[in-house]
This record gives sequence, C-alpha cells and structure tokens, in this order.
Amino acid sequence: MPRLTSLIIRIFPLAILLFVSAAICAAQATSGTVSLSATVSKFVEISSGGPVTLTGNSGGGVTTDGVNNSPLAVSINLGELGPANTNSFVTALVPLKVRSNAGYVLSMSATVTSSGSTTNRIGAADVGFGLGTVSRSGTGVNTAGSDTNATSGDPTLAANGSINGTTGRYEFTAVRSNLSAFSSATTALSGPFIMNAVPRSNGNGLTVPAYFAVKPQFFENGTTTVSVTFTVTAP
Amino acid sequence: MRLRHFTYAVLTALILLGVAQTTPAQALDISSGGQPTITGAVNGSVTGSISVTSDLVVTINFGEVSPLNPNSVVKVTVPIALRSNQPYQVTVSATGINNANPQALQSSDIGFGLQNPRLLGGAGKICTQSTHIVQAPFDNDPANSATVGASGRVTYPSSLANLSGSTLLLSGPILSKNNSSKRQLSDGWIFDAIFTITPQFFVAGAGSATLVFSIAPGPNVPC
Repeated sequence: MPRLTSLIIRIFPLAILLFVSAAICAAQATSGTVSLSATVSKFVEISSGGPVTLTGNSGGGVTTDGVNNSPLAVSINLGELGPANTNSFVTALVPLKVRSNAGYVLSMSATVTSSGSTTNRIGAADVGFGLGTVSRSGTGVNTAGSDTNATSGDPTLAANGSINGTTGRYEFTAVRSNLSAFSSATTALSGPFIMNAVPRSNGNGLTVPAYFAVKPQFFENGTTTVSVTFTVTAP
Repeated sequence: MRLRHFTYAVLTALILLGVAQTTPAQALDISSGGQPTITGAVNGSVTGSISVTSDLVVTINFGEVSPLNPNSVVKVTVPIALRSNQPYQVTVSATGINNANPQALQSSDIGFGLQNPRLLGGAGKICTQSTHIVQAPFDNDPANSATVGASGRVTYPSSLANLSGSTLLLSGPILSKNNSSKRQLSDGWIFDAIFTITPQFFVAGAGSATLVFSIAPGPNVPC
C-alpha cells in the first residue's frame, strides 16, 4: 500500500500537468472576427468668408480684416459718422462662411455702447444690419438646400429704412434691420445641412454677406463701440 | 487492490485525454497576430489580444469621424496570424454598414487593405517556389493611398465596399514548418489588416460592421 501511494504521488502530478498543458494550449480556429463602429456627431462652424468691404466712410478703415476660412474676428473703424461725412451711408460688408453636417441656425447678438449721454447718441437702432444673398456653391456643398433669411437684407435699401417724419432721425424700419433686434441672441439665418460628406479640408461652404450700416447724422459727439457675436448651432 | 485498479484507471484516462488533445485535428489556423493599434482617433479605441495564441477577436471603435476630429485619418492596424501545413486561402465577409442616406457613413468610406507580411518566428515556413498573394485591390495601405474624388469625398483603392459575400483576400503556400494542430508562438505568418476612416462631414449618426476572416485550403501551389 505505501508503494501504491508513492506511485500515485509521483505519477499523478505528471498526468495532471500533461492534461492541463494540453488543455491550455490553444486550439486552432479557421475564422476570426473584427467588429467596427464609428460615431458621427453634429458639427457646425462659422468662419470668415473673406475680406471686409468698407464703403462710404470718412476716415476709419478695416483694422483687422477677414481671411477666408479663418476664424471670424474682424475689427472695423467706421470713421466719421457725423454730418461731416457727406455720404448717404457708411457700410461694412462682412463675408461669413458657415459649414455643417446637419441643419443649422445662425444667430447673432450685439451690443452698442456710446460715450454720449443723450438720446441723440448713437444707439443700437442706428446701426442697420442685414444678411445678403446666401450662396451655396462649390464642390462638396449641398446646393439643394434652401435657407431662411430672417433679416431684411441690405439695410441701406430704400424699402428697409426712412427718415422719421416726426423726429427727422433716419430709422431702419424693416424686420430685424437694425441691431436693436439683436440685443440677445436672435436667429438671423437657418437651413438644412450645408456640406456633403467631404473632409474639413474642403474649403467650400455657405457664404453670406453681413451688412452693417450707419447713416451719418447729427449724432451727439463722442465715440461708439459696436460688438457683434455670431453663433451657429445645430439644434 | 480495488483502489489500485481505480487509481490506474484514472491515471490512464488522464494521460489518454492529454495525448488526445495533442493529436493533430486540422492544419489551418487564424488567430491574433499581436496587439492592434489605433491612431488619429478621438474617443476611439481598439481591443484585441496581444497574444498570438489567442483567437482573432478584435473590436474597433473609430470614435468621432465628423470634422470634430481634426486628424486627417483614423487608422487601425490589426495583425492577423496565419498557420497552415498546406496551401491556404483567406476570405473575408462583411455585414453591417447599410445607411440609406448617401451622405452618411458608407462601406466605401472605410478603407481596407492588407500589408506587411512577415514571419511569425522561426517555425514560419519560407517557400521559394510560390509567394503569398494579396488579391487586388487590397494590396495597399489605405491611409497612404486615399484620394479626394470629383465629389470632394475621400475614396480608397480598396474599402469595405469591395467585399461582396465571401471575398478572397489572400492565398499562398504552406505557412508553417511544423505539423502541430496547436498554436505555437512561432509557427506561421502575420499580415496586417489596415482599416481607415477619414473624418468628413458625414450625416450625423453611427455606423457599424462585422468582418469575418476565414482560412481554408487554397490553390495547390508548390512551396
């Protein structure tokens, strides 16, 4: 009996080792799987559509110009806005470029701050605003999309403003034709997806000019700062 | 006495079971070829075994492939180990990508190629009379061969759109020197399956696909 026990003690581990090693040695297979997944989130962006055009100005100029497909950060000095400027309007045209893979909403908010202290100082209502003709063109752009312009277009058009018969002050009267309508973020443009499935390196997109206009008048003397923020979202 | 007989019987059974498991059962094998890698991903990942003796089970998450991903391409390399004691062929089939919107992620947007054949250790067999043939159009690295088509969309020489049913991917002569049915650490060849997606203005959503790689006896080519 002791010999048997000794035999078991010697052989059993070897048998177990052989069994286990054979079991853990990977068996072959004739197939394997690779599973793939990817996510596409909504994406929108706004950038400069090119250089700014400033007309009707007396003095002033474009301090920081727009560069196509670069972040939108332009700075404009409208120059003299008193009667010393004999032009009908001082107009700045700022090209915008919007791109998205989903329906978009372009909104804008603006603040107007003047150093004057009376109601004759330049206010938000004295700064005309509108978006011009929307263009969807170029390779990779969804040209079938139809956009909704919530502004009245070029604020200098006769249909969009006139002299107030009572006060004599020039007023931009059309719907969303001056910055008082944008004291908080307000929709200016909206539409369906802009870009087809193309890389971001494709430089095309939806372009639209943003008009800013001031009619020189007997404003209270001083300085005025207008700050405008465009925001595009994909609701 | 009866205990001794029982003990012998158990030992014999264990030994026979162990021996039985080492008996060659088949001569074709596909497994992991090592750690898969991913580059250019945002919130992406790839999981798979680093061991060449593990089954080929890889999960790729390309992550974000809209323009929110600023990288030029998301590239995943999946090493696949092959073993055989006879001429072989590898086929692949794909299911899953089926977006109706043409601007959404399509199978043609996932570049797919096979590259970088190399020995899996010293027991991998080098044949001089036949070569391992990657079938057209898959012999390319899609990350390096992508182009922009007339529509502005990125295209690849080969993509998942080139897979129709069980598609022949690779064939060649014997891969292994030994004749074991068990995976060894050094007894075959490794090929890199490469998958790419270029982030684009795809319609928002998600896409998924499953590929099954299979190895089977191939054309009888000499070694």
